Amino acid sequence: MNRRKFLIASGAAIGGTYAGLKLERQPPIPDGPVGSSAVSILRARSYSEDLVSRMLEGIRQCGLDVRGKRVLLKPNLVEFDSATVINTDSAVIVAALETFRSLGAAEVKIGEGPGHRRDTWDLADDARYRATVPRFESLFTDLNRDDVSPVSNFAGESQFYFPNTVLGADLIVSLAKMKTHHWAGATLSMKNFFGVVPGAVYGWPKNKLHYIGIAESVVALNRRFRNTFAIVDGIVAMEGNGPIQGTPKPAGVLVMGRDLVAVDATCCRIMRIDPEKIDYLRMAADLGHIHPARIEQRGETVASVQTTFALLEEYKHLRLA
Amino acid sequence: MYLESRLQFLRDSQNADGGWGYFPGKQSWLEPTAYAMLALYGQSAAETAVDRAWRLVASWQVADGSVRPNGAIADGTWVTALFVTLACVRGVQDRNTARAVDWLLRVVGAEHSLAMRAFSYFHLLKTKLNVSHEGWPWREGNASWIEPTSLTLLALKKVARGHGLPELAYRVREGEALVLSRRCSDGGWNCGNPNVFNYDLPSYPESTAQALIGLQGRSANELAAPLAAARRFRSQTKSSLAKAWLAIALRCHHEALDAPTEEARSCDEMLAALEALAHPDGNWRLLAEEGRA
Repeated sequence: MNRRKFLIASGAAIGGTYAGLKLERQPPIPDGPVGSSAVSILRARSYSEDLVSRMLEGIRQCGLDVRGKRVLLKPNLVEFDSATVINTDSAVIVAALETFRSLGAAEVKIGEGPGHRRDTWDLADDARYRATVPRFESLFTDLNRDDVSPVSNFAGESQFYFPNTVLGADLIVSLAKMKTHHWAGATLSMKNFFGVVPGAVYGWPKNKLHYIGIAESVVALNRRFRNTFAIVDGIVAMEGNGPIQGTPKPAGVLVMGRDLVAVDATCCRIMRIDPEKIDYLRMAADLGHIHPARIEQRGETVASVQTTFALLEEYKHLRLA
Repeated sequence: MYLESRLQFLRDSQNADGGWGYFPGKQSWLEPTAYAMLALYGQSAAETAVDRAWRLVASWQVADGSVRPNGAIADGTWVTALFVTLACVRGVQDRNTARAVDWLLRVVGAEHSLAMRAFSYFHLLKTKLNVSHEGWPWREGNASWIEPTSLTLLALKKVARGHGLPELAYRVREGEALVLSRRCSDGGWNCGNPNVFNYDLPSYPESTAQALIGLQGRSANELAAPLAAARRFRSQTKSSLAKAWLAIALRCHHEALDAPTEEARSCDEMLAALEALAHPDGNWRLLAEEGRA
């Protein structure tokens, strides 16, 4: 029994926000699904550019049909700090709202359940969501405090609770922020799903996920919610001590796709992080494609937009060779 | 007007089952129900409403003594502390209250396990967390955090007024020690993790307020820096929730604060209840300590 197995067996895996262990493991990456996945990389150097046309182009390139669907936009809303780049920029949300409406979605809502801060509405206010998203108050749901329903057999739990707004969506669009992360290495479209777990049931932070395991939870959430699409906000990203205390990193891209594993693997390569060294991506390899040969890159090439993100000393081993 | 507008909103938004949701027309949850009950407590116009809410909350207790956070959820959580606080405020000292207290005394944050203490001893954690003290988690089997620990301290200190249980006194001491050990370098508290990879993490205003509520009775000297942080936060925070918690905490620590004047602009029922509690003429004293273990 290695140290990790001992940890799990002992029931002491505190995990996550304050007890991740300095342990390494490298199981072989399982084969991905049959075929390949399209990932679109589109340049956008600032939030004042025409983001709607870029999103329309990315969605077309990835072959997503949203007609008649109930769409839930899930931004990454984390912290009161409008001067930095912690949260998904409001311009990305406004553009996504317009994009999905114009493509014939039956309804487009916005929902988020921040992991640490409880005052979601004022957080959205501070991030200028209320000021910039038309009719925001009628569109937004605090997923931490939404009505909930049980779901069977999630991540080994006989019963797990999710917000009804999430369970009722036909398509969940992960409007993630491209950031480094001091527990997961990187936080992109897949980890953004932590925000669909209700704090009113699991707390602030959602400590149950830490016990399941951060990587394991990311994978389980993405296994549970398969009707998804990703639009990663890398226009001004975050490097260094992310996801909160890092520094702005202009990467000038939006990265989109239906295969969130492939989207996150592509984002990692743009950040010059090796996706095969990110635990959750290794564990999610049966859900999507990590290997570049199985990812159909649309729009820009990775090489043309690649930029080195600063990493904490503890994560230097993640650097893409 | 400030206080009455919130109380009227609460009176108008009670669900048919007797509880309050986080937002109007939504499922009843124990957390907003508890704060609404405290905000309305003692008001003759709301007496029936509060009694109905208590019956609903009491019906959510499960076999192990814990209390469920809402009727759709199978197992009990940290909100058991709020149930005990409500019971103490209402003067209910029955078997069900005792079962809830027993559950709180039985539950310990999982980071205190022998294995985790061993990992901490050998510096195998990413954090500088002191895992030697016993606090309370959001859910049984998880780690301790500031909010559930602080609110459980409040509940147990109210219980301690009428009981001399040595186990209760021990858990209060341990809980206070845990909270004190997790203070951030800037003087306040965040959710419960002050440092990662040798980087100090910032404190949060609402967590700082809750910790101060849990630490009522500790010496003014010991709490000087956190109280200063709370005062600073109160003048700076953009969070309405944090402002309400900070006002309650500072009043509980005998600080005179001006009455707020902002009009309610939210349909958040829990926020309305906390803002009502935080008003100088509100029921904030119900969250003040009453006796020490």
